[in-house]
Amino acid sequence: MKFKNYLAGAATAIAALAVAGGTALAACATDDLPATRDKAGDFPARALTMIVPYGPAGGSGQVAQAMAQAVSELTGVSINRDHKPGGSGTVGMTAYMATPADGYTVLEHIDDASSAHALDSSRPNPAEDLIPLVTSQITFSQIYIRTNEDRFTDWKSFVEWVKAQDGKATIANVSKEGSMERVTMKFITDATGMKIQQISFDKGAPRYGALAGGQVDALFEQPGDVRKFLDAGRFKPILTILKERPGAFADVPSIKDVGLDFEPLLRFRGFYVKKGAPADRVEWLQWAFQKAFCTESYQKYNESKFMNLIDSYRDTEGSKELITSTVAQYREVYKAMGLEVK
Amino acid sequence: MDAFNNFANGTVALFSDPLGIVIFLSGVVGGMLFGAIPGVSMLTLAAILLPFTAHLSAEHGIMLFSVIYCTGVYGGAITAILFNIPGSPENAPTAFDGYPMTQKGQAGRAVGAAVMCSAIGGTVSAVLMMLATAPIADWAISAFGPPEIFALVFFGLAVAASVGAKTIWKGWLSILAGLMIAVVGLDPVGGIERYDFNMPYLLAGIHFIPTILGFFAVSEIMVQAEKKVTGAYSAPKLSVDFPSFSELWAHKFAVVRSIIIGFFCGILPGIGATLAAFMGYNEAVRWSKERWEFGKGKLEGVISSETANNAATGAAMIPLLALGLPGGALTAMMVGVFQMHDMEPGPLVFLNSADLVWVVFAAMFFANLSILLIGFLETKTIINLLRIPFQFLAPLILMLATVGAYAVRGLVIDVVVMFVAGVLGFFLRRTGYSVAGIVLGLILGKIGEQTFAQAMQMLHYEWTGYFSRPIGLALLIAGFLTLGASAYRAFYAAPVEAPPEESKSA
Repeated sequence: MKFKNYLAGAATAIAALAVAGGTALAACATDDLPATRDKAGDFPARALTMIVPYGPAGGSGQVAQAMAQAVSELTGVSINRDHKPGGSGTVGMTAYMATPADGYTVLEHIDDASSAHALDSSRPNPAEDLIPLVTSQITFSQIYIRTNEDRFTDWKSFVEWVKAQDGKATIANVSKEGSMERVTMKFITDATGMKIQQISFDKGAPRYGALAGGQVDALFEQPGDVRKFLDAGRFKPILTILKERPGAFADVPSIKDVGLDFEPLLRFRGFYVKKGAPADRVEWLQWAFQKAFCTESYQKYNESKFMNLIDSYRDTEGSKELITSTVAQYREVYKAMGLEVK
Repeated sequence: MDAFNNFANGTVALFSDPLGIVIFLSGVVGGMLFGAIPGVSMLTLAAILLPFTAHLSAEHGIMLFSVIYCTGVYGGAITAILFNIPGSPENAPTAFDGYPMTQKGQAGRAVGAAVMCSAIGGTVSAVLMMLATAPIADWAISAFGPPEIFALVFFGLAVAASVGAKTIWKGWLSILAGLMIAVVGLDPVGGIERYDFNMPYLLAGIHFIPTILGFFAVSEIMVQAEKKVTGAYSAPKLSVDFPSFSELWAHKFAVVRSIIIGFFCGILPGIGATLAAFMGYNEAVRWSKERWEFGKGKLEGVISSETANNAATGAAMIPLLALGLPGGALTAMMVGVFQMHDMEPGPLVFLNSADLVWVVFAAMFFANLSILLIGFLETKTIINLLRIPFQFLAPLILMLATVGAYAVRGLVIDVVVMFVAGVLGFFLRRTGYSVAGIVLGLILGKIGEQTFAQAMQMLHYEWTGYFSRPIGLALLIAGFLTLGASAYRAFYAAPVEAPPEESKSA
């Protein structure tokens, strides 16, 4: 185990360097893992089930499909996806916690599980109540405007324009109380002194339609989700919510460039198995999901979703660190916002 | 002329390729079957097929999905009419009048009308889709924001109280009950938990599919079983009479109106065929001189709902292809098919893959035409399902409904919801309330609440903001006028009590 973690850790470091150097082509995080692995006893003797707490068409549904396909190609074991959307991922998580801990049922979940636990510690902690198999997508948010917008053209003119509207400017968002989106917007509005009305759209299509159709003035989103609008030249980013500019968006200012000083919150998606599953099965699953991350089909998928701009891979230990620090960060923010942290 | 040439090229490309023909025909039959069998839907079929489309060419993959979309929307009408089980939510308004027609021994007329109108609605929509595309999509998203969609929903609900209830007051109470069910769960804006009683499943809200199955299928079985026990049961008469041409011609305005409504609802991202069917039905009620006949077996109800839901199919392709914005679950899965072939639906598709777009357009046109052909062939056979004696049919329907309720999200609570709705529906119907009204309130309420909250945020919580949005304002005024007129009739005009009922179903 230890040696494997070491290998994975070293591979992650190499991958990070490779991405930083702009040559992500050759090395991949889990290249050093063995290409095949014997079953753990007779596990898996049948198909696995993957509970996805979101619908099939959104970001989670798509990554679940891509990962399930990659794992199946790698191991020959098929994975049935079981979508249980609703309640911002709560329904799927609750259903998952009720399944037996035999390793046959795995879970896809996103950073919402971490922020939900930060707000209410009776909700499962993904780093302790679950075992992260792999975190396979990590991305950042940006603020977008229409390319043909003439009232403002960049972050500076946008902030000035918003201030002049005295609270009447609008931004499309997923603004559930305590969500990554809402917290990040609070950081930004507090620091800049702008007042902007956030309009909540829980589904992607109406949210993007609202910006394209001029119903709102700006959009808060992750680049992979609006890539087609960027490629078609309809939307353009005016702020990257990271401290450094990633290569693909070298001409878009980062928060540091515009004088904002906060720790950016990341969106991440990963795969989990229930704590208490037999150790040999967990090890097999870790190998399968981590190795599948580097299959050609999965890498191609991640690239198409701009998931290669920052290091998207964390193994079990790395995921735990990511989750634990995320939970701590949210808890601090919630307390500062005056939310009741249970 | 360009459009015609492109269409001709698309047709040639479609039918000169044997594999393309096989995929086209499988899509037509598969969509109809999965649409018709309660418990599975065209979405189930699409989800099963999605991974396999990686092995098809992009043309074939997208074409398969668009064909399934067209015929799947029609398929659910058959079980809605024959057994009061809408195959999918967009067929629910078809059951409002279709099933009472079956009980009156007019199953053939209802199914025939559904076949004809689905085909007409779909085909016209496919033609409009070919002629319109990009500029229309841009217009729709800029003219119709959340304030307008809310006004549209309000306008639709204003007339819904007259569907299937004994008095207008009971009609309104039914709608309000539906609206109340719609607010269970996380609120759509701040994520505030409402009526969840600390049950995580209630957080996700009460799903409308088990509710529809309960209110329609389960409560109907209880109504029939009661008749069986008390000796009042008589099996529905069988008829395979098709609606005559003159009968359909008499409803030409209803058809045109539903095409316009359906097409329009289909264009709006995130709205799609379900709202189209409900709005088409509501408008039929509004424009009718015999609005109290709706919900009791009026042919126009079936015509309006089936025309509108198929008219939404072609329209839904416009925002998908022109802007990359899917209108509903199935079009969202089509985005997945595009992505598997390294394409993104959006403006670039028209530039980079015009051939593909026209093959898809041609396929949708012919899929809608084939509804007519296959519909006529199958109708005479399928009606014979009604010959199955009630004691054998009822358990089968219950089983299918249970599977259907469970299959939505794989949650047992949905089965419980269905049976609770069934029992409630049984008692509500005896006392003159309208289960159709509850379902209308539930489905329109979910869309309405969300768009209302968004609209209020956009208008900075000031109603007067509507004065700067003429389309929304006009719809709101029309809605209030309808409300006022129905209140006036209820108080002052001669009683508009429905004539003696032939059946109690609503």
